[in-house]
Amino acid sequence: MTIRERRFSRDGLTPFQRFYLIFFALTVLSPLIPMIIASFAFRWFWPDLLPSEWWASARHTLTQPIGWDYVFSPYSRLFTAIRNTLVIGFSVTLLCLAISLPAARVLAREKFRAKGLVEFFLLTPLIVPEVAIGLGVLLIFIQLGLAGSFVGIVLAHLIPTVPYAIRVLTSVFQNLSTDYEEQAMVLGANPLKTFWHITLPMIFPGIMAGGLFVFLVSSNVFLLTFFVGRGQVETLPTLLFTKVSSGGVLDPVTAGITLITMLPGIILLLITERFIREEVFAKGFSG
Amino acid sequence: MELPKANPIKHLPQARRRWLGRFRIALMLAPAMAVLVVLYLGALVLAFLQSLGYAPLYQINTFPTLHYYQDLFSSTGFWQSVFYTFYYALIPTFVGLILSIYLALTLRKRFALKRLFQYVYKLPLMIPYLVGVSLTILLFSNGGIIARVLHLIGIIDNPVEFPRILYDHSGLGIMIVYIWKQVPFMTLIIYSVLLGLGPESEEAATTLGANPWQTFWYVTLPQIMPGIITGTAIVFAFNFGSFETPFILGGGFPNTLPVEAWRAFDDPEPARRLGAMAIVMVISVVSGGLLYLYIAWYRRFEKRRGRV
Amino acid sequence: MGKRLWLWAVTIGFVLLAGSVLGQQAKGNPVAEKFRSDFLAGKLTWNDVLTEAKKEGQVNWYHWGGSTELNTWIDQVVKPELAKFGIALKTFRVNDTRNAVDLVIADNASGKGLGMGSVDAIWINGENFYTLGTQNLLFGPFADKLPNSKNFFFDPKEPRSKLNTSDFGYPTNLQEVPWSGEEYTCYIDTARLKPADAPKTFQDLETWLRKTPGRFTYIKPPDFNGNTFVEEVMYAFNAGGPEPFQKRAKDLGLRNFIQATKGGFEFLKRIDPFLLGGGGRDGVRGNPIYPNSPDALQTLLVNGQIDMGCEFGKYNAAIQIKNGRFPPTVQNIIFPQKDMISNKNYIAIPSNSPNPAAALVLANVVSGIDNQFSKLSQIGYPLGIDPGRLSAADQEAAAKASLPLPGITLAQLGDNAVPDTNSSLVKVLEGIWQEYIERQSGKPLEQIIADSWNTQVK
Repeated sequence: MTIRERRFSRDGLTPFQRFYLIFFALTVLSPLIPMIIASFAFRWFWPDLLPSEWWASARHTLTQPIGWDYVFSPYSRLFTAIRNTLVIGFSVTLLCLAISLPAARVLAREKFRAKGLVEFFLLTPLIVPEVAIGLGVLLIFIQLGLAGSFVGIVLAHLIPTVPYAIRVLTSVFQNLSTDYEEQAMVLGANPLKTFWHITLPMIFPGIMAGGLFVFLVSSNVFLLTFFVGRGQVETLPTLLFTKVSSGGVLDPVTAGITLITMLPGIILLLITERFIREEVFAKGFSG
Repeated sequence: MELPKANPIKHLPQARRRWLGRFRIALMLAPAMAVLVVLYLGALVLAFLQSLGYAPLYQINTFPTLHYYQDLFSSTGFWQSVFYTFYYALIPTFVGLILSIYLALTLRKRFALKRLFQYVYKLPLMIPYLVGVSLTILLFSNGGIIARVLHLIGIIDNPVEFPRILYDHSGLGIMIVYIWKQVPFMTLIIYSVLLGLGPESEEAATTLGANPWQTFWYVTLPQIMPGIITGTAIVFAFNFGSFETPFILGGGFPNTLPVEAWRAFDDPEPARRLGAMAIVMVISVVSGGLLYLYIAWYRRFEKRRGRV
Repeated sequence: MGKRLWLWAVTIGFVLLAGSVLGQQAKGNPVAEKFRSDFLAGKLTWNDVLTEAKKEGQVNWYHWGGSTELNTWIDQVVKPELAKFGIALKTFRVNDTRNAVDLVIADNASGKGLGMGSVDAIWINGENFYTLGTQNLLFGPFADKLPNSKNFFFDPKEPRSKLNTSDFGYPTNLQEVPWSGEEYTCYIDTARLKPADAPKTFQDLETWLRKTPGRFTYIKPPDFNGNTFVEEVMYAFNAGGPEPFQKRAKDLGLRNFIQATKGGFEFLKRIDPFLLGGGGRDGVRGNPIYPNSPDALQTLLVNGQIDMGCEFGKYNAAIQIKNGRFPPTVQNIIFPQKDMISNKNYIAIPSNSPNPAAALVLANVVSGIDNQFSKLSQIGYPLGIDPGRLSAADQEAAAKASLPLPGITLAQLGDNAVPDTNSSLVKVLEGIWQEYIERQSGKPLEQIIADSWNTQVK
């Protein structure tokens, strides 16, 4: 095949396309190598490409834990941050799904006058800058005494996640035929029973997909946690922020925390790629 | 299907049924709408009121006054802040878009390890911006890995000779983080539109003698326009209001508007905090207005093309 | 349309509701209030305090959390010590002490008094203490009522009590207790700059920078490390030295202030193009780099971008070498001679501390001799207690606990020490620096000084 033919065809890449894909894979994966090296370094000065002294040889010479010893010690607060990230993530996911499900069902099935307005309103949090929402919500929470609290952070995380969850779940309900539910009703099941035994099992995969992404968004949000948490609730992103914002060299502890902060994303990527198609993946973002 | 339609409220008189139906709709929408109305709309309204001088929290109530806006517009560096905010938001959106379109088109092909690549390219999408910031510091700082490699091959002698990418108003470091994080996002959106299209119209164009460039420009591009508009609008809005990346990697005063807003809000002086709300309103109005115009322009463009 | 109206009605209703919660008077919990008045009146024994503290069960300590060494030391040493008294230590590692002060202010504004707020103790000094003091948000004069107050000079007739009773020129009124002492110290990398060639005064610095542009920079105000550099410059270029800067703004007066600061700021402007990235040409502004934090400054030194840096921390260079962040070729120097700012930092208890008794126990524990020595030897944080109050044996132990200083001696540091700037002037200097140096304002210097003065001095 000539290059010209390959450009059209569905198989076979042009050399440039091959290079392009390799380049992308490298930009994603190659920075991880120095990051891992940095996390195991002890003395690493300009212009050395590798540390002159490693963590493993220095760790027993000092009274305080360094590098990975520090990262995994209680002093780093890493486990507190992980626990907070998980607790906030799960609370946000459950609360978000609980309030999004009925709304999505109505939007998918019913026609009513203000529907267009509601749909438009649900899109706006995506395009109003986060910093505006963050500072505004902080103002409200300072007055309600919710600034610096878990509850405050969970509520704040609902702002970016609810519109997203509603859009995903609406499309789930739209693809769901009402026949089975109607039959169940005719056969005498009450609405709650119908939902529990008929509707829920059918939409479960959609709920899972939506829930995973809500969790992902919550575990990645920095600005809302930082503004509303007022430095009192530490999550993985805020822990990383305190480390990188000093503007210094990337020390071994920062490198270690960077690697650990990537873990939730990597795990969710491995889970979701298996059973979520690209279209559904994109649905939540594109509306 | 011959089964009668089930309706739990169908034995009620019609007017009452309609009322109950509406009540049910309102009830089911209420929790979600309440959260968004109170938190999100409430936040914006409160910010707006404060920017006009209503702040009993700090014992300030000069409502309504445009004083905080006047101060803002005449302060040193404000217009530079506006410029930097636009600059750091627009360039990565544009560059990222071009990279993403090509990546999405390439992804349609069959190639070895495609399954694996689909995992790899999405990774930046899944992790916080701060990880991108951290990687950028490690690679691009003056004494970073790239500078060290350049030293090794003899191009530079001292870190001072390495171009300043971070902590500088050129904003290269900020834009690198944005592009790295956002290309996967825009690619995903465009790719999912492409998946829904199928190859027929492009093949037809080719059969009719169009060259690849013509096929792309006249057939593919118009079809993926909805994905492009959504992707760029979301990315631009995000960059325009983004905080942590310019806060850490920016060049200091004058900072981007979101960073200036946070600095002003973080000031113990209440008047400065009200000034922060003026900045917040400027960010929201400018970003919202631009996106409105952008989408309106796109609608007209589609109408002219005969699609709605 | 109906829906839209409804949305607005709810929103506006909510905002008004939120507004009405405000503006109440802060009221304390009666038990805590009684404890305070009894304790301050001397009616309670230390055992009573310990019993009360055990009942409270925990203490929330807010401190700057940027040092892994300090964080570890607190968890390793202070936490178990307090656990012995049945008190759980919860530390909050803030990026900036001001965040803790803001929290105290916000709690107070929402009506939370003693026994009800969120902050029990703050590691504090300078501007932040001044803010709490002027807003009347401190627990009360407790420092001389702790058992370990025997380690401090508090008698105003004793000259060595000065840093215990005055914080950046603002009287502590025994509302905070010293826990560490620091001196602004500079370091050089002898691999690139020989100690003999290192500058000794600001004039030397300028000569050296003009010869080798770009080999130095200082931390950007309003970081206190940046402010302190600016203050030392002010002292050095003022004919009267540090003396006028000890006065409160309203005692000093604008005219004297302009006189005292003009020379210093002109110097800062002169060296601006010769700092790192500044371009190295008179009158042509390049793009000088003023690092945001000590970490950023240290990175520049380690990368070989600069040869000399200054920040708070007598033992800082020694600790950084030990922990692998500085190469062993780094040494301290005495710079600027006779103008090295030295101060103490403290533990303060705010007026809305939720656990005031436990906060007192914390303040007592960290001013104990053993903990002070351990802090000195393990992480290089100097003594907050006064060696003059210690026994001969303890004084010897303190000397032994000190880390060796590379290149200089403790005696030299003592000989060149000068007091800090009055906290009422710090913000004024910050404002001038930002307008004149950072923003390169075209206004005449005297007007910039006057503008900053008028915004900050009330």
